[in-house]
Amino acid sequence: MTADVSEQETLEPTTPAASAPLHAPAGTPAATVRNPLRDPRDRRLPRVPEPCALVVFGVTGDLARKKLLPAVYDLAHRGLLPPDFVLLGFARRDWGDGDFETVAKAAANQHARTAWDEDVWARLSGDIRFIPGSFDDDAAFDTLAKSLTEVSEAHGIKGNAAFYLSIPPALFPTVLQQMERTGMASEAAAGGWRRVVVEKPFGHDLPSALELNNLVDDVFGAEDVFRIDHYLGKETVQNLMALRFANQLFEPVWNANFVDSVQITMAEDVGIGGRAGFYDATGAARDVLQNHLLQLLALTAMEEPVEFTPEAIQVEKLKVLRAITLPSDLQTYAVRGQYDQGWQAGERAVAYTAEDGIPAGSTTETYAAVRLGIDTRRWAGVPFYMRTGKRLPRRVTEIAIVFKKAPHLPFSHTDTEELGHNQLVIRVQPDEGVTLKFGSKVPGSMMEVRDVSMDFLYGEAFTESSPEAYERLILDVLLGDSTLFPRNSEVEASWRVIDPLEQFWANHPPELYRAGEWGPKKADEMLARDGRTWRRP
Amino acid sequence: MTTLWDTTGTEVVRALAEERGTGGGVTSGLALTLVVVLDEKDTHDVEAAVSVAAARHPMRVLAVIRRQIDAPVPRLDAEVEIGGRYGPVETVVLRMYGRLALHAESVTLPLLAPDAPVVTWWYSETPTVIAHDPLGVFADRRITNVIRDPDPSASLRQRAIDYVPGDTDLTWTVITPWRAALASAFDTMHTPATSVLVKGNPVDPSAQLLAGWLSSCLNLYVPVEKAEGKYISSVEVRFGDDYCVTLRNDGYKLIMSRPGQMDSIAPFPNRSTGDVLAEELRRLDPDEPYAQALGAVTGQHDLNSRPPTRVHIWKDPALADQEA
Repeated sequence: MTADVSEQETLEPTTPAASAPLHAPAGTPAATVRNPLRDPRDRRLPRVPEPCALVVFGVTGDLARKKLLPAVYDLAHRGLLPPDFVLLGFARRDWGDGDFETVAKAAANQHARTAWDEDVWARLSGDIRFIPGSFDDDAAFDTLAKSLTEVSEAHGIKGNAAFYLSIPPALFPTVLQQMERTGMASEAAAGGWRRVVVEKPFGHDLPSALELNNLVDDVFGAEDVFRIDHYLGKETVQNLMALRFANQLFEPVWNANFVDSVQITMAEDVGIGGRAGFYDATGAARDVLQNHLLQLLALTAMEEPVEFTPEAIQVEKLKVLRAITLPSDLQTYAVRGQYDQGWQAGERAVAYTAEDGIPAGSTTETYAAVRLGIDTRRWAGVPFYMRTGKRLPRRVTEIAIVFKKAPHLPFSHTDTEELGHNQLVIRVQPDEGVTLKFGSKVPGSMMEVRDVSMDFLYGEAFTESSPEAYERLILDVLLGDSTLFPRNSEVEASWRVIDPLEQFWANHPPELYRAGEWGPKKADEMLARDGRTWRRP
Repeated sequence: MTTLWDTTGTEVVRALAEERGTGGGVTSGLALTLVVVLDEKDTHDVEAAVSVAAARHPMRVLAVIRRQIDAPVPRLDAEVEIGGRYGPVETVVLRMYGRLALHAESVTLPLLAPDAPVVTWWYSETPTVIAHDPLGVFADRRITNVIRDPDPSASLRQRAIDYVPGDTDLTWTVITPWRAALASAFDTMHTPATSVLVKGNPVDPSAQLLAGWLSSCLNLYVPVEKAEGKYISSVEVRFGDDYCVTLRNDGYKLIMSRPGQMDSIAPFPNRSTGDVLAEELRRLDPDEPYAQALGAVTGQHDLNSRPPTRVHIWKDPALADQEA
């Protein structure tokens, strides 16, 4: 990949894009070309970002403590942070640098994936600053801007900074206006790159997503906005592209001629946890289907990108997302459910409406299943069954490609009674890997054919422990590699799929299902009507 | 564990298949076969190293111990184990006595995992000419460690003379953190380096390879200047007349000093042989930058364009003794 990118980048000076920034974005592959010590053949050297600052808004929040700070520590521990690196935390707490350091250390120590090394932390903590203040406090933002300029000089970070908005979207306008007012978002003023990282939800419908995108893109420029969908940071999701486009074996059958249907499942065994307020206003379709599941669908169904670059991949994903069609009969093919009380993993689970902070009459869905189609030559007529839910029997995410049955079987009907469809299953989590299910003769004197499965377990055949999704994604932000981040047009195309569903569901109460079961009956009936069944993951 | 005394290769293959059948399938997907050539006295160190590397690379390990090459009757003893002292791997320890040691490949060939790459690692005593050892001839990757030879610097020169793409040496692997730090120091520089000085032990192969790598990348003469310590203590890079970047190793830290800036400190972990071996097993294709660095150290050119295969050269120690 490095070779392709550098080739492209060396061409850049002769064909400068009109909007290209004037400064040389060092640390991006353009600089890699100039660095005589970086050889694309030298695969031992890690990809290390250039000197930069990471500014985290809402650094005392749950996400920052459980994911961001540990990921930063892990990056440092693996030697993937540049020698000049500053972490600036901003939050509404009356803390000094020392207090924050204690909290950050506890968080990193507790949640880090790599072993704990006091020396690594000591080095990192020397580069951590905390700026207390509320988001509407002009003075606090002035202090932040000043600190950023100070560290920019003292630490030689050359004005490079990434801003991580680990805050509710309602606060985005305030924070973005503050950044605009203080000039922190301006690359020209800073003399380096400025990037912003936002977490889902990216709006709650198309108009709100457009508004949010416009707001962020206005302040930072669309190229510098990184939307985190942590599913795309997972090794298996990236492996999906390797599986499809690096092999000769799968692509020829990856189309409507051979594929009967596709099932994409993301099941969670937990309830809503402490997110009652957010979840009740959102529901499963907006929380999971709109982003994670549609991104998985796009990667499964897209055409081959002309090259492995962020732009080329985005073009192909967008084509698929725009070709998605909803069934005309939503009554049958779009099911929403809500968990009722039940038993899960040997423990009693309360109904959704009995959870703390959920109004008794809530009609928010905790389960959504829908049959989508893709109007392209490759996929015409192939149903894509998507489902997601909470309080299902186990936590699992997988993509199952179900192939058609052989057009003719030379065996007698009784010989192949136990033979099902061939399947290729990509297990995203847990037990990351790939399973191929096919028929095989049962040993013995009779001709009997039964399904067996062949398993590839990622952790077993591979050579390196895969990094945590956040670690990979933060590194990519600092490197300026947007391959694994959905662009605003993708987010908008996804809302175009979800909005009609939400409108339809607005007048239909969710079907109840018992906690600890695989969703409402109606979802099973939906597949039964097509002569299919859900795969039990 | 199955232990076989005075056995044959066929028996060993059968014992391995049995262990696999009853062992509960610890490793169903094998990434490679690692053939380790070692002396009995190194068993403990090799076990420690392999168990670290095995945690990251599922593999079959064939440990070949050649004993008493002058024993009158050839004999093979073997231990077959899955998930034992060598970590979560399939291990076969082969002790070969007498003339069998010269035909070690006759035992190892049927034990190689099907269609998986083969890596041969000489833990100590690198063969002067790898083609003399059949265990090196059928390997896709060959790992040597000249630091354990009596004269490492001379051994490194011999590695260049004997080089074939697919060879690497652990004295190269250990300098990866140095190279990563230097590469990131260069990331922010937009003017070419004018001179580079490596301080350390001028006869240490790692210091020589670091200098060789820098000189092959930068087209500069890079000397190794004697300094305290037995390895690499610091590297000075000058850009123009007055801008000098210094990287120095201070225990477990790497300190980078630049004019007008605070020193930056990066962790510099002390890696075990197992960590280094694990890095080595990550990529099984020829390492071109190593060949360039090795070429720069020893004045051998075009190492990368040599044909990547070796042909076994028969060398009988008994005949060599007679001639002597």
